[in-house]
Amino acid sequence: MSGSLVIQQSGNSVVTDLGRFRGPRFGLPVNGALDQFSARAANILTGNADSAPLLEITALDFRMRATTDILVAVTGAPLRLTVDGRECQQWEPISVRAGETVALRQITGGLRAYLAVHGSVEAPVLLGSCAPDTVIGFGLRLTDGTELKTSRSVPPIRQPYFDLPLFRLGLTRPEFSSHAVVEVTDGPDVDEFGDTADLLYSTEYTVSARSNHIGLRLGGDLPERQSGAEVLSRGVPVGAIEVPSRDELLVLHRGRGVTAGYPVLAVVTTRSLDVLAQARPGHTITFRRTTVPDATAKHRAALRELENLRSTVSTVFALLGIGSRPSWQQFAPAAGS
Amino acid sequence: MPATATPTPVEVFESGDAALRVVASSPDREANWSTVHALAGWLEAAGADGVHGAVPTYDSLLVEFDPGVTSARQVRAFVLLGMRQLDFIGAPARAPREFSVPVVYGGEYGPDLERVAEHEQLPVEEIIALHTAKSYVIRCLGAPAGSPMMDGPDFPLPVPRLKDPRLSVPAGAVAVAGRQAVIAPAMAPGGWCVIGQTPLAVLDVTSEPLVPYLPGDLLRFHPIRPEEFTTYAGRKLEAAQ
Repeated sequence: MSGSLVIQQSGNSVVTDLGRFRGPRFGLPVNGALDQFSARAANILTGNADSAPLLEITALDFRMRATTDILVAVTGAPLRLTVDGRECQQWEPISVRAGETVALRQITGGLRAYLAVHGSVEAPVLLGSCAPDTVIGFGLRLTDGTELKTSRSVPPIRQPYFDLPLFRLGLTRPEFSSHAVVEVTDGPDVDEFGDTADLLYSTEYTVSARSNHIGLRLGGDLPERQSGAEVLSRGVPVGAIEVPSRDELLVLHRGRGVTAGYPVLAVVTTRSLDVLAQARPGHTITFRRTTVPDATAKHRAALRELENLRSTVSTVFALLGIGSRPSWQQFAPAAGS
Repeated sequence: MPATATPTPVEVFESGDAALRVVASSPDREANWSTVHALAGWLEAAGADGVHGAVPTYDSLLVEFDPGVTSARQVRAFVLLGMRQLDFIGAPARAPREFSVPVVYGGEYGPDLERVAEHEQLPVEEIIALHTAKSYVIRCLGAPAGSPMMDGPDFPLPVPRLKDPRLSVPAGAVAVAGRQAVIAPAMAPGGWCVIGQTPLAVLDVTSEPLVPYLPGDLLRFHPIRPEEFTTYAGRKLEAAQ
């Protein structure tokens, strides 16, 4: 049964997905959920495909009401999660009844939370993705009163013993801290910085308030480019670390312009981009050098963890009949039938 | 894409765990450009699991991939295979299309026209004449939103960027910087000198592709009067038949 989510307090929230991977060849940044691990986990916890549209809620309090019974999961930065005033666990599926209010308050420790709904929500699509693109003005930014269409309803599932959490699926949650260690590999232009490149690994940087989904600006001792030769515009990867000015280090994130003319000092690993996505202004960051094979191995280990979660969720959901007929009905015919 | 019988050699550089940078660094800039664009075309056409796509610019190509599905090592091998194919079959030729772009120069449409004229020590009319004097090859699609990046007009001097970039440049802005020229498909911040504006819509987010041109296509500007601006309203940039 289709229904809708009525946004009561939008804060700073959008509908997004894992990104517009076909965008860069057309000059559009990939965009999409900045903390990809948390976004994938939220979708998996609600039985969705990893790439299904979900809500990204940044920094500010958020509240919505469901018009039908639904199943949701909230991941990402630690926060206070309630359903009609009942405290609920993040990183677990939650059953929400029609008319109940889901509230996310006091996002602390990190910056971005993800809310997925079983069956997902409807959003406009461009080049295969609903991810907002602020430069071309595409995407669904939520405002108070926005109604998001949902496609599936899930009958209420509730513990008979009130307030005990319904699920304990046991995903290892990422750690959130005001000091993050971010792993990087040497960039293709590291030699242009000579010995000053090492400053990147010995300096503690502070996240500036002028950071956003396009890039994080970090204050601290800056490596300096040794040559002044003109650089032709070229494609720059997400995670590229550049020194465009004497004031700040620039770390490009998923909203980055696809081409630029600055030398790339280092590149943040896929795994550590999720860590950066949760860094708040004022948080401190140190960089640690790693290798591409090691970075790939860590990313794949995280994906395996998500695959394990997916298989647990699919077993539990099959037993409860979420997304299909309950499988226990096959074993236990109703009395009198 | 113009045919190149013999692509120039390329070097492949690590660029994080999800991208590689491929660089053609022969002394022949034209050959470098055709090589990286031909290679991008081959990579798109061949397709490989986990390879998201390729972003070619002037002498380099960024190949992006999903490190959960493939790896830098495998993608490097795929790129080198592409180069051997291009060596063998040559780069495919595509007849360039031509785009004609009406521009209102100066005034509110081109707030930096006089600044550029002053810098070049030429009359404003001469700046317009030089800007409309030739067809430009679209070298690559840049930020923001698939901007057509072109080698600039034959001005005597490179054009310096604005000291204070504008927070917002309107869609259709026709701009120059250094030895390059561009049209802004979407409203965005910008540090290039805006000398005019086209009334045509360059970007259409309701259709694919979002912009009508490809690298290798030709683009030519022609001046129109300010009062003609509105007569083009709602029209899209399209290739000449």
